Amino acid sequence: MPVLGYIGVVVALAVGLLAFLIGRYGVFPTWEFAVFAVLAVGQLLAGDVVVERRVVLSFSSIVLLAGQAILGPAGAGLLGLGMGAFEGRSVPLRARVFNAAEVAIFSGLGGLAFLVAGGTADPAQLQDTSDIVFRLALPLLLADIVQFLANVLLLAGVVRVAQGVPVSVQVRTLVGSTGAAYIGYGIIAFLLVVLWRPAELGPVAVLLVLGPLLVAQWAYRQHAEELTGQGRALQVLVAAVEAKAPHLTGHSTRVAELSGHMAQHLGLRPQMVSDTRVAGMLHDLGQTSLPTALVRSGDPAADSFSTYPARGADLLRGLSFLAGALPAIEGHHTALDADDHPALPARIVGVADAYDLLTEVGTPDGLVLRRDEAIEILRGRPHVDAELLQALEASLARRIGEEVSR
Amino acid sequence: MTSVFRLPSRPVATTVLGLGLVGLGLGLAGSGSRLGTLIATHAPALVVFVGVIAVGDLFRLRMPSGRETAPLASASALAVAFVGTINGEAVFDIDPGLVALVVTVALALAAAVHRAQHRSPGVPQLAARLLGVGLAAVLAREVGPEGATLWDDQALEGYARGLVAVGLVGVALVAIVVELVLVSAIRAERQRSPWTAAVRDELTEAAPLTLAVVVTGPMVALMAPVLGLVALPAALVPLVMAYAAVGQFARNRATNRQLIATLSVLTEEGGYTRRLHAERVSGLAVRVGRVLGLGDRELRDIEYAALLHDLGQISLRDPIPDGATVLAAPADQRDIAAEGARIIRRAETLDVVAAYVEAQTTPYRLVRELGEPVPIGSRIIKCANAFDDLTQGSSDPARVTAALERIHLGLGYEYDPDVVDALSRVVEHSSVGRLAEEPLLAR
Repeated sequence: MPVLGYIGVVVALAVGLLAFLIGRYGVFPTWEFAVFAVLAVGQLLAGDVVVERRVVLSFSSIVLLAGQAILGPAGAGLLGLGMGAFEGRSVPLRARVFNAAEVAIFSGLGGLAFLVAGGTADPAQLQDTSDIVFRLALPLLLADIVQFLANVLLLAGVVRVAQGVPVSVQVRTLVGSTGAAYIGYGIIAFLLVVLWRPAELGPVAVLLVLGPLLVAQWAYRQHAEELTGQGRALQVLVAAVEAKAPHLTGHSTRVAELSGHMAQHLGLRPQMVSDTRVAGMLHDLGQTSLPTALVRSGDPAADSFSTYPARGADLLRGLSFLAGALPAIEGHHTALDADDHPALPARIVGVADAYDLLTEVGTPDGLVLRRDEAIEILRGRPHVDAELLQALEASLARRIGEEVSR
Repeated sequence: MTSVFRLPSRPVATTVLGLGLVGLGLGLAGSGSRLGTLIATHAPALVVFVGVIAVGDLFRLRMPSGRETAPLASASALAVAFVGTINGEAVFDIDPGLVALVVTVALALAAAVHRAQHRSPGVPQLAARLLGVGLAAVLAREVGPEGATLWDDQALEGYARGLVAVGLVGVALVAIVVELVLVSAIRAERQRSPWTAAVRDELTEAAPLTLAVVVTGPMVALMAPVLGLVALPAALVPLVMAYAAVGQFARNRATNRQLIATLSVLTEEGGYTRRLHAERVSGLAVRVGRVLGLGDRELRDIEYAALLHDLGQISLRDPIPDGATVLAAPADQRDIAAEGARIIRRAETLDVVAAYVEAQTTPYRLVRELGEPVPIGSRIIKCANAFDDLTQGSSDPARVTAALERIHLGLGYEYDPDVVDALSRVVEHSSVGRLAEEPLLAR
């Protein structure tokens, strides 16, 4: 159980660090600590704002950072311990233990960095502008960086131990996705501390700083809702195809699923996997602009029929969020036989489409092939290689697995 | 003979503009003699404030409904109204009149840039903002029990300043509400929609951003004694985060609208409907809805439903002539509408839109005689669709008149009289029910 071992090490570190901080700097049970505790509870109830599995606004980072200046390292460490422990709903116990230790460590280290850099939140020591810069702004920036790096390293460590993802990859992903936001958190925490202590507003400072953050939170939630709406609206496009061509009912959804899984199996980047999946879903859209009789006759040999991939891509041309899916939509129909070298996503959708047509949709006279027959036919197409077929077989196996587990 | 005393065509907008000018004049008269000294004393602060307000107005935010707001400029202008002690600078002790002057100069600069880039600056709206900020300056700097104003109280020691902060936020809130109410009055007048509906939409849509705007001015005033002039840009950081988030959400909403519009193109590409028919019907339907005082949420559903009202034609074997459903047999119309609604229902979030599409063929007679509940959205789309089918998108007056006459023949039987009335007003003048700004002064 390497994961348990890792958690044990982190917990030991946290206990050691907290004991040192409390012994060295002490905790004074002030009313300010109580205010921060209330803030922490509020933060836990509201939660950080997550859009597409990425934290876009982290209240907890702001609260902890301001706490490092106002409460000192020991207070900030304890605050982190509590916030980590109660983070999220239905979290398994050992994850809670790890979170508590992890947040306590990076919050305590941040507080320590603030003090070591000469930081103070005492109004008496913050008389002129240079004090504000050198004794508050810069130390807070340093604490921000330390908190961020400690957080990233501890998280990357647990992902390395649990899932085998290399630390460097994980660090790069985390820094790229949340690094810039941390600068914003640093500035907001700075404003909170300035208003609280030197400007002498006390806890009212929280009310002033919180307003814009709540607005941002509201807007990001709306944004997430719009993204869901987008997915639903794509379903309407699929429904339009199926109204036009009833024999294709369910085809788009199956091709989308197969294309996505194949792209994943072939190791494409997440954005390309998503683009390929969407291309699979919308590959037949162009058929809606063909005469109904032609589409329903299901005669793929007709000349005008083969214009549908280009028509589909044209229909979606103006939509920036679908730009990545267009080449595969446009190329899927010819990708398996073309003379030039078609791109991988187009070939993926081409294979998924052809396989589904052979095995599920069937020919106009009702001929439906078995899996091995269809794969034999696909093997004969010029741009279908062993790798692609292996991805197809793996995705089909996954489909069966998912059906069984359902 | 033309009358010399012609009533202005938009009395409300003109009044707001006039009030703004009068306020500015009074302010200048009050402190005009000291103007030179004041400018010399506060030069760095004035430059920063004017610069930030002007730049803030260039970063306007287009809300999902199409309204424009300038949260950064509003918040910075309020900061000027409140600020007193500034670390490293002279105490910013000026009259409300001078506050108004500073804000005016900044907004005029921004308006000039907007003009140069061929955008309408919306002068009456700027005047409304000036009036709101002027009011805030008066409330903060001149009003208070026994002469102790909020502005004086900023110098209080200790946590009593927390109370001052709350007071300043209250004043800022009053200023913003005054600005929003004036802006919605101007808007209601121009698009000839009910004033109450305009105020309701303006306040509800602006509510979240307002929360962020009203705290920023007080934040600047209370941090300036510590941070100096840096307080203004620093305090704008949280607001900018809120601004960015709202902007992203608004852009996303726009993308979704575009996606729905793509669906309306499907029937055009297939040769079932005339080019841009759905876009025109949707434009008309939204304007009619706005004149009838419908809310933003309803208007959006109407817009989507109007874009998709012919979607059901997609599976027809043979296109109907010109795609004009108004000329098709009633039973065919109903089938098309039902098929369209069935397709739209695939997106669970668009149920209301589907209902509007489904009921768009029901004659108004059934509402009146049998009490059949036909949603207002469907009644509007029925009417707008008939108008566009009959004019075929032409704005030729003879065709428009003929189309309106034909629709009037079906009044009360086929069409809802209130909707027809609103349609006539919308068709009469291009600004009725439209959100986009038109310059008041450039005529």
